Amino acid sequence: MVLLKILKKLKQKEKEVRILMLGLDNAGKTTIWKKFNGEDINTISPTLGFNIKSLDHKGFQLNIWDVGGQKSLRSYWRNYFESTDGLVWVVDSADKMRLDDCKSELHKLLQEERLAGATLLVFANKCDLPGALTAEEIKSILNLDDIKTHHWQIVGCSAVTGEHLLEGIDWVINDIAARIFTLD
Amino acid sequence: MTSVVSKPNENFYHQSKSKGESTLTEEQLLKKDAITPEDVLRLNKITESYLCNPEANVYEIDFTRFKIRDMETNTVLFEIAKPADLVEVYDNNDDVDPNAGRFVRYQFTPQFLRLKIVGATVEFTVGSKPVENFRMIERHFFRDRLLKTFDFEFGFCIPHSRNTCEHIYEFPPLTKELINEMIANPFETRSDSFYFVDDKLIMHNKADYAYNGGLSCN
Repeated sequence: MVLLKILKKLKQKEKEVRILMLGLDNAGKTTIWKKFNGEDINTISPTLGFNIKSLDHKGFQLNIWDVGGQKSLRSYWRNYFESTDGLVWVVDSADKMRLDDCKSELHKLLQEERLAGATLLVFANKCDLPGALTAEEIKSILNLDDIKTHHWQIVGCSAVTGEHLLEGIDWVINDIAARIFTLD
Repeated sequence: MTSVVSKPNENFYHQSKSKGESTLTEEQLLKKDAITPEDVLRLNKITESYLCNPEANVYEIDFTRFKIRDMETNTVLFEIAKPADLVEVYDNNDDVDPNAGRFVRYQFTPQFLRLKIVGATVEFTVGSKPVENFRMIERHFFRDRLLKTFDFEFGFCIPHSRNTCEHIYEFPPLTKELINEMIANPFETRSDSFYFVDDKLIMHNKADYAYNGGLSCN
C-alpha cells in the first residue's frame, strides 16, 4: 500500500497528521480520495457530508478528510479546519466557468486563522479531459504566486487515471514532515 | 466495525488513557446518569448488557453500511448495507427483539486472522440536528483479553449528512496459540461500539465474531 509507505517516512513523534480535501462540487475530491487506495471509482455520487480515511501505523494516524463541496455545504467547512496540517484544494481544470468562484473560495480559506499553519497542495484535476487548462494556467488564474502565507504546490493530475496523485500527496506529507517532524 | 486484533500494550489510547486509573465495572456504569468516554475506556471486559437505551440516540444517527476489505489484494471480504428505503416496521409484534438493530454477528474463515492490512468502513447518516463532538470508541475482546481499542473523533457532523470512515490498520501478528483458540471458540471474540456526542453516551452497538467458517463442526 503506497500510502502506508509514505507514512512510514514519518517518525512517530506526533499521533496524528490531518489532511483536509476541499474544493467546489464536482472537482473530483472523492474520486481522488478513493483512488489513493485503489478503490472502485465507477459509482461516485455527490458527497453530502464527509469521507474519512484513517491509516493506522504503529499508533500513529494519517487522517484524510474529504468534505462535500456543494454550495449549501461550504458554510460547514469551518467545522473541519481545526488541527489541519495539510489542505488539498481540488480544481476541475476543465470547468472554466467556475474558476473565479474557485479562486475566491480558495483565497477565503487562506485567510482562516485555523488553517494558517497548513501546507497547501492544489490538485489541477481532470488534466486528461479535452480542453482542460494546464496546471500553469490554473496557477495564474488562481493567483497562487501571491500566496506568501502557506507553503504551496500545484500538481496537474487525473483522478481517473491516477496520474500524479501520489506525487502530490507525497509532497504534502514531506512538507508537513519537514515542519513538524524530523525525517528519517 | 473493525474486526481487529492487536496486543494491548501496543495500543496507544488504551495505554495513555487507562494509566493510573482503576477499572470500572459494568454495574458501576449502569448506575450513572451519563456515561463518558473515560468510563468505557476503564472497562476491562465486554459488557453483558447495553449501556444506554436506543432512545438515547436523539440525533437519529443511523449506521447504513459496514465493509471490510483486504488492502493487500484489494478484495472486499464483507459488506452489508441497509437499503435506503428500508422502513422498519414492527407493528404490534411484541416478540421483536428491541436490540435487533444493535447487534451484528460476523462469520469469517480462519484465513481472516492471517490478514496483514485491513480496511474497515462504516457509513452513517445524521438527522436534522447538527452533531457536535461525535466520537466512537470500539473495544474488541477475546474472552477477557482486550485485543484492540479503536478511538476516533469525528467531531462535527452536518445535519442530514451521509458520512463514511474507513479505518485502515495493520494486523499485528498473533501467536499461533491465540489464533487457534479464537478459531476453536466461535463468538467468544466480541466487540462493544460506543458512540458519544459531547462526551455523553448516545449509542451502544455490539458484535461477535467466529473464525471457523468453512470448517466442519464436531
